[in-house]
Amino acid sequence: MNPDERGKLRYFLNSTRYVFAFFFSLGKRARKTKVLYLVSFLPVLMSMVIKFTQIFYDRQFIEGIYIFSNMIMTFYLQFLILILALFFGTSVCSEELEGKTLTYLTTRPVPKSSIILGKYAAYTSLTILMTVTGVVFSFLILNVNDLLNLSIYKILFRDAAVLCLGIICYTSFFTFIGTFLKKSIMFGLIFCFGWENVIQYFPGSTQRFAIAHYLKSLLPAASPGGRFSFLLFRLEPTTPAVAIAMLLLITTVFITLACIVFSLKEYIFED
Amino acid sequence: MKPVIKTQNLCKWYGNVLGLSDVTLQIEPGITGILGPNGAGKSTFLKLISGQIKPNIGTVSIKEEKIRNNYLLFSIIGFCPEQDSFYGEMTGWQFISSLLRLHHLSPLEIESKAKKTLEIVELIEDKDRVIKSYSRGMRQRLKFAQAIAHEPEIMILDEPLNGLDPLGRRKIIRLIKSYKEEGKTIIVSSHVLPEIEAMTKKIILIHQGKIFAQGDIHYIRDLIETHPHMIYIKCSNPRVLASKFINEDFILNVDFTSEEDSVIVKTKDRDKFFSLLPALFIENNIEVKEITSPDDNLQSVFDYLIGK
Amino acid sequence: MPIREKGYTHWDGEFQPKKFFWWPITRYGIKLTFKKKFFKFVFFMTLVPAVVYLAGIYVSERLDDFSFMIRESAPLLQVNPVFFKSYFTSEFLLFMIVIIMLFCGAGLISDDLKYNSLQLYFSRPITKKDYFIGKSAVIVFFLSILTLIPGLIFIVMKLIFSGSFKFLASYPWLPFSVIGYSAFLTCFFAFYTLFLSSVNKNRRYVSILIFGLYVFSDILFGIFFGIFGKQYFALLSIKVNLQQVGACLFGQKTPYHVPWFYSVLIITGICVLAVSVLKKKIKGVEIIK
Repeated sequence: MNPDERGKLRYFLNSTRYVFAFFFSLGKRARKTKVLYLVSFLPVLMSMVIKFTQIFYDRQFIEGIYIFSNMIMTFYLQFLILILALFFGTSVCSEELEGKTLTYLTTRPVPKSSIILGKYAAYTSLTILMTVTGVVFSFLILNVNDLLNLSIYKILFRDAAVLCLGIICYTSFFTFIGTFLKKSIMFGLIFCFGWENVIQYFPGSTQRFAIAHYLKSLLPAASPGGRFSFLLFRLEPTTPAVAIAMLLLITTVFITLACIVFSLKEYIFED
Repeated sequence: MKPVIKTQNLCKWYGNVLGLSDVTLQIEPGITGILGPNGAGKSTFLKLISGQIKPNIGTVSIKEEKIRNNYLLFSIIGFCPEQDSFYGEMTGWQFISSLLRLHHLSPLEIESKAKKTLEIVELIEDKDRVIKSYSRGMRQRLKFAQAIAHEPEIMILDEPLNGLDPLGRRKIIRLIKSYKEEGKTIIVSSHVLPEIEAMTKKIILIHQGKIFAQGDIHYIRDLIETHPHMIYIKCSNPRVLASKFINEDFILNVDFTSEEDSVIVKTKDRDKFFSLLPALFIENNIEVKEITSPDDNLQSVFDYLIGK
Repeated sequence: MPIREKGYTHWDGEFQPKKFFWWPITRYGIKLTFKKKFFKFVFFMTLVPAVVYLAGIYVSERLDDFSFMIRESAPLLQVNPVFFKSYFTSEFLLFMIVIIMLFCGAGLISDDLKYNSLQLYFSRPITKKDYFIGKSAVIVFFLSILTLIPGLIFIVMKLIFSGSFKFLASYPWLPFSVIGYSAFLTCFFAFYTLFLSSVNKNRRYVSILIFGLYVFSDILFGIFFGIFGKQYFALLSIKVNLQQVGACLFGQKTPYHVPWFYSVLIITGICVLAVSVLKKKIKGVEIIK
C-alpha cells in the first residue's frame, strides 16, 4: 500500500471513528435507547420471577442452565435481537431521513460510507451492550445456586458470543434494507417473523437462506417437545466454523452494499 | 475575479415536476443573493451546488472540482439548510462540537471554534440546554452556527434569516457582510427582498426553475427597458418644476400625489432626466427636499420580471 | 341601514351544534391509509379467510354435491357457533389485524405529535373527545370490515343458502355474539393502537412497539407455561385473552382453564391504561423543560 492509499485509509478510519463517537454518545442519551434498555431487561425480570417462583413455590426443580439455554436464549434469539436489530438497523439511514438531519452529515468532509459504517458500529455496540447485560444478569439469576461452578460460564460466553454475532449480522442486513427501502419496518417484520421462522421448517439447503440457521448451528441442538412445540424445528446444522464464516460474510456483504447504496443514492426529504 | 462555483446547463426534475431548468452560472467571491418566490427552485439550486442531490443534466463544479461525492470539498464549504431539524436531545454545545469533530479538528481547536461560534450567534449562555428546548430563533442561529463554525471559505445559506427577530436579522446580515470583506464566497437564498437588498447588490432571480436575471440590481433594472423608471421628487414647488419638463419626449407621465409638495415622474431615460433636474431646480429657485426612485429596488425588479 | 364598508359582518344568529365534528379526521385517516403502498394487498389477504369461510357455508348446504371433495371433512363444515368462533379467534386473523394496525394505526397520533399538528386540531372547535373518536373511528372502520361485516354476512348467507330461519332459531344469540365480539376486538385494538401511537413521535418505533408487544406477550406466556405448566399464565398473552373471550361469547369451551372474565379484566385494564395515557399525551401545547 503506497503512502497515498495509507493516508486515505487512515482518513477513512478516522472519519468512521468520529461518526461512531457522535452517534454512540447521542444514542446513549436518547430516550428510545433507555426504553429499549428496559425492554432488553425483560428477560432479567422473567428470570427473577422464574427463580423466585422456583425457590418459594415449585416442587419440580428445573436446572437454571436448562431454562437459560432453552427459554431465555430462544427468547433473545427469536425475538429480542430481531426487534432491536430491526429498529437500530433501519434507523441508521431512516432516522436521518425522517428527522431531516442527513444534511448535517453529508455536508461534512467525511466519506458517505464512513457515515453508514460509523453509525452502524455505534448502534450495534449499543445493542450488544443492552443485550449482553441482560443475558449476563439473566444467567446469574437463573444459576444463582451454581455460580461457583466455573464450567457453566462457558455456556454464558458461548451464548453471549452467538447473540453478539446475531446482532452484528441482523443489524447489517437491516442497515442495508433501511438505505434503499422506504417501508423498511414492514419488510423487516415480515423477514424476522415470517421468513426467518418459516424457512427453518424446510428441509435440506433451504434452511441456509436464513441467518437464524447459522446462529442456531452454533448452539447445541435444542429439541424441546410437548409444551415447547412452538420452538420445534428441523435443524440440519452447519458446522460452527462455516456458520461463523457465513455470518461474517453476510455482515460484510450487507454493510458493503449499504455503503454503496448510501453513497450513490439521492435522498430527498419529504416536505 | 475567478469564479468559485460554476454550473453548466443544470437541470433537475422531481418526477414530472421541473425543479430547475438549464441553469448556467458562474459565482464569484462575495455575496450572491438567490431570490425567488416559494417553489421557484432556490433550495433545489443550493442543494445541487452543495452536492446534496444530483442533477439530471449538467454539471456543477466548485473550484474546478466536481462536488458530488467529493467529501473533501466540504472542509471549505459550510451549508445552512432550510429545514428546522436537529438532533433534539443534544445540547447546543454538543451539536456544534460533534459536527466540528467530523472536520478532523483537534479537541483544542474544536473547543475554541465552538466557543467562538456560539458567542458570535449569542448562544453561549444556552449552550448546555437541549436543542428541543430552544426557541425558533435560537434554533435558526444554531443552524447558522454549524455552517460557520469551521470557518469555511464558501458558505451556502438557504434562508438563513427565517425565524429571526429584526435585531437578530441585522446581526446576521452584518456578519455575512463581514465575511465578504474577508474574501469569502457567500450564496444566500431568500424570498424576502429587503433581506437580500441589505446584503448585496449581486443577485440571481429564479422563478419557476429558470434564471430570470443575474447581476447587479441596478444594472438589471436598467435593462428592463419596457418599464419606465419612477422618480419621486419632494420639493417646494412641484407644479412649477413639472411644467418645465413636461414637454420633454423622455417624460411619460407626471403624477401629483395627495401630498402637496411632491410629484412622481415616469421617464424612459433616467439619465437624461437626472441631468436636466439640477438646472431646473436652480433656474426656478426650487428647494429640493427628497429625490428617490421607488421602483429601483428588488421588489419592483422582481415584479416586472415575473410579470405581476 | 348603515353602509357596510367591510366585507366581514358579525354573525348575530345562534351557533348550531354540529354532530360528527370528528368525521373529517376519520375520513382523512381512511383516505391516507388507502394511499399507502401494499396496504390494499395486505387488506385483501386478510379477507381471504372470510371468503374461504363463506365458501364453506355454501358447501355446507350442498354436502352431497361436494361429497367427492370433502369426504371425512364434512363434520368440519358444520355451520354452528364453533364455525364462527374458529373464524373470529383464528391466529391468522388476529395476526393480520395487528399488521393492519401498523398501516392504519401506527401514525394516527405519532404523526400528529411529530408535526405538531395537535395545536392545529385544538384551535378548531373540536374537543379531545372528538379527536379521539375521529382517530379511533379509522381503526373501527377497517376492523369492522374484517370482523363485523363478514360475521353478519356469514349469518345472512347461511339463511339464504339454507332457505329457512332454522339456523337463527337454533342460535338466536349468534348475531349478538358476532356484534359483541367484533365490538370487543375493535375497542381493544383501537385503544391499544392509539395508546402506543401516542407514546412516541417516531412512527417506526411505534410500529415495532405495536407488533413487538403483541408477539412478546405470547412468547412470555409460552415460556412461563413451558416452565411451570400453569394455565393461568395464559393471561399474559394478548392473543390468548382475546381467544378466551371469543370462546365464551360464542358459547364454547375456553382454550385454557382460566375464567374468561379474568381475560376481560386484563383487556379492560389495558384499555383503561390506554385512556389515561392518551388523556395526558393529547394536548394542544407540549412544554419542554
